[in-house]
Amino acid sequence: MKRLDRRIIMDRFFKYLVIVISLIALMPLFYIITSILVHGGSTVLKAGISFLYEPPPSPLSTNVGGIGPSLLGTILLMTITIIIGLPLAFFTAVLAVEYPNSIIAKFVGILTRSFIEIPTILIGVLVYTIMVLPMGRFSAIAGAIALALVSLPYMYTHIENALASIPWIYREAAYGLGLTKPKALFHIFMGIARRGIVAGILIGLAKASGETAPLLFTIGGSRHSYFQGLDKPIDAIPLLIYEFAQTPYNIYHEVAWGAALILLLIYLGVFATLRLLVKKVEL
Amino acid sequence: MTSIPRSDKLFFYALLPFAGIVLSIFILLLKILVENSLPIFIREGLGFITSNIWRPSETNSRIEYYGILSPIVGTFYTSLIALILALPASIALTVFVNEYVPHRFKILIVNLIEVMAGLPTVLYGLWGAFIFAPLLKDYVMVPLNNYFWFIPIFSCKPTTPSTMFTASVILAIMVTPFITSVIREAYEAIPLSYREAALGIGTTKYEYVKIMLTMIKPAILAAVLLGFGRVAGETIAVSMTIGNSFSLSMCLFEPGYTISSLIANQFGNAGFYHYMTYALYGAGFILLIIGLTLNSIGLYILVRWRKSLEET
Amino acid sequence: MKYIVDIKCLSVYIKGKKILECIDLKIPRNSIFTIMGPSGSGKSTLLRVINRLIDLIPYAKVEGKVYVFGMNIYNVDPYILRKQIGMVFQTPNPFPHLSIYDNVALGAKLNGVARNKDELDKIVEWALRKAMLWDEVKDRLREPPSKLSGGQRQRLCLARALAIKPKLLLLDEPTANIDPVNTRKIEETLTSLKNEMTIVMVTHSPHQAARISDYIAFLYMGKLIEWGPSSQILIRPRSKLTEKFLRGEI
Repeated sequence: MKRLDRRIIMDRFFKYLVIVISLIALMPLFYIITSILVHGGSTVLKAGISFLYEPPPSPLSTNVGGIGPSLLGTILLMTITIIIGLPLAFFTAVLAVEYPNSIIAKFVGILTRSFIEIPTILIGVLVYTIMVLPMGRFSAIAGAIALALVSLPYMYTHIENALASIPWIYREAAYGLGLTKPKALFHIFMGIARRGIVAGILIGLAKASGETAPLLFTIGGSRHSYFQGLDKPIDAIPLLIYEFAQTPYNIYHEVAWGAALILLLIYLGVFATLRLLVKKVEL
Repeated sequence: MTSIPRSDKLFFYALLPFAGIVLSIFILLLKILVENSLPIFIREGLGFITSNIWRPSETNSRIEYYGILSPIVGTFYTSLIALILALPASIALTVFVNEYVPHRFKILIVNLIEVMAGLPTVLYGLWGAFIFAPLLKDYVMVPLNNYFWFIPIFSCKPTTPSTMFTASVILAIMVTPFITSVIREAYEAIPLSYREAALGIGTTKYEYVKIMLTMIKPAILAAVLLGFGRVAGETIAVSMTIGNSFSLSMCLFEPGYTISSLIANQFGNAGFYHYMTYALYGAGFILLIIGLTLNSIGLYILVRWRKSLEET
Repeated sequence: MKYIVDIKCLSVYIKGKKILECIDLKIPRNSIFTIMGPSGSGKSTLLRVINRLIDLIPYAKVEGKVYVFGMNIYNVDPYILRKQIGMVFQTPNPFPHLSIYDNVALGAKLNGVARNKDELDKIVEWALRKAMLWDEVKDRLREPPSKLSGGQRQRLCLARALAIKPKLLLLDEPTANIDPVNTRKIEETLTSLKNEMTIVMVTHSPHQAARISDYIAFLYMGKLIEWGPSSQILIRPRSKLTEKFLRGEI
């Protein structure tokens, strides 16, 4: 009887231990979100709707201003990143799924996935050397290319999975109709795998909106003027947060919190859409 | 006898340029990386990774010397602490989600974990620097130092909230969802027959979970290695909370550097010096090698484990 | 050209395993030709050689000669070959993302069978009428196929195959997963189509073979045991194995 008691006590203890540790592990998420809501919320309330389109304040200003250029920059960077990254991810995924026996397809598949292992800061540094140095200035396009390289493996993986998991019966049906590979792909396979493909795009967007390190040495953080051209500096919300948080000015910290709220909303928006589309998300 | 139809070949050729672009980008990145890091390896040899000297000079490039021992040690040290903290949390979360949470809440918790995994790192950094680090200093670091000063890692007085300890804890928070997802996938992949067998011998839940966890040991190891790769490469949140200084101390309550935070902090000014860019590239190269090695081992273990599961 | 399909000592290996062994078979024009046999006899594989869907299976090796419409199938582009051959599969597999109309129209449109909207409408109606589905779906052509019953879905697949105006129709156990009412409708359709095309059907049911076939081939363990006019196979089989199969003993 005594032995049984010990087993049951151990079982209880284990259960509470697991629950307590789990709650502790999840707590930071709520803490972070609450902090951003409280601090960011107060900034945004103070600045009003103009927070979304005004440029940021000067360090000693009392007026919060806004993050207009950075928000616009983030939206533009998200767009260009997808324009550059999606075709690469999509067509290499098609190559891998439709020509699984080709050595090139296999090799490029491994290569694309391995981009995930390159630290994002290193991607920023490399794009700096390849693009910023020769061009002589920071640019939106350099940032977008860096972000595209960061998002590439995520988009590729999701699109490849989506295409590869099209049930065999539909492949046979498509080819049984006499459709060639491109016709079957564009008219049938893409339609059947559309959720997975859109999920891939959304993950690309999530990365493009939230990554900071690839932008450190590529876009130049031009946060007082709005879009000037693809070959000109631009800003992004994550970079603004990163740089403003490290300044000694209170007003900049306030702006950083407000920007964090906007970034959080963008991220949660993308995530929620993703969740509605697919069951499993790998970020 | 089977020849590839012409239209298939044409489509293949139409797709090749995309593969070609990916391939050439990769080669270009590799070339730039090697080209720019070779000079420092040639100039300083092993000294580059075994010494802790950071001596830039704008005027006299001959006296410049760069040794990244401190960031290398810092990278391993913070990653190690982060993983030690994250592993029990990840295992607990896995067990929690699979064994204790009522089914309809499971999806909610899993969603929360995934939200955490993808949250922009700069948000972790911002929260870490302004909210969490001061708390950590007052309520964890100071007491630890007061009561456990005789343990070397707690031996110094925390003077600033930005320390290696802070960065480690934040990294642990950030990597927990990732490690959890790897472990959870393995846990859920255990075939039903084993589960039934374990339950069939009259185990309590604790004993049952212990058996299940023993079964996925290789996957847990792989998760840790993969997590290490992630943690070592993380830049933004670390550079916002680690204090960014060259120190070589056992004590966790001092500011430090990791390779990635070193690059983040120094690369912007490196152009003013003759050798610093090379040094930072060299550091990046070493970071990449560390990451690739750990990841490859992790993936290898994971693949082998999955295979063994299929075979039995 | 009396024979639409002419198979000469066809052997198929998948991953080194022999699936079919030196099959010799001639399929006469405008007939219903049934390939029957127990599961695992290789009959589905035989069907997939005729339109080269076997190409999709990695590690499949084909030996021997196969002539379809008088052409050696390995000397023509498989896509051109398949455009003239319709196929219906064991599991009803209408494309889930397309409407009922588009499921039928897609092949006809992409293969250039219909040149404009009017022609396409006509072909879709014709195919759906042939599949005896028109009256059931004519008011909801824009709905997804998921709204149809299993049997209706299979008839939709039949219509899809007919809409490319094939000269040869292949059916791989088309009624295996379907109720008797729908099975009868499909069998009626096939009988009515005989004058317009040649039909090759795979089935594991000797009763179905008996109901509609002009010719029957009996396949067992990858070997062609015998083939001939259905009356002869059903009434005077030459092989003991065929007899056993007809009695339901294998």
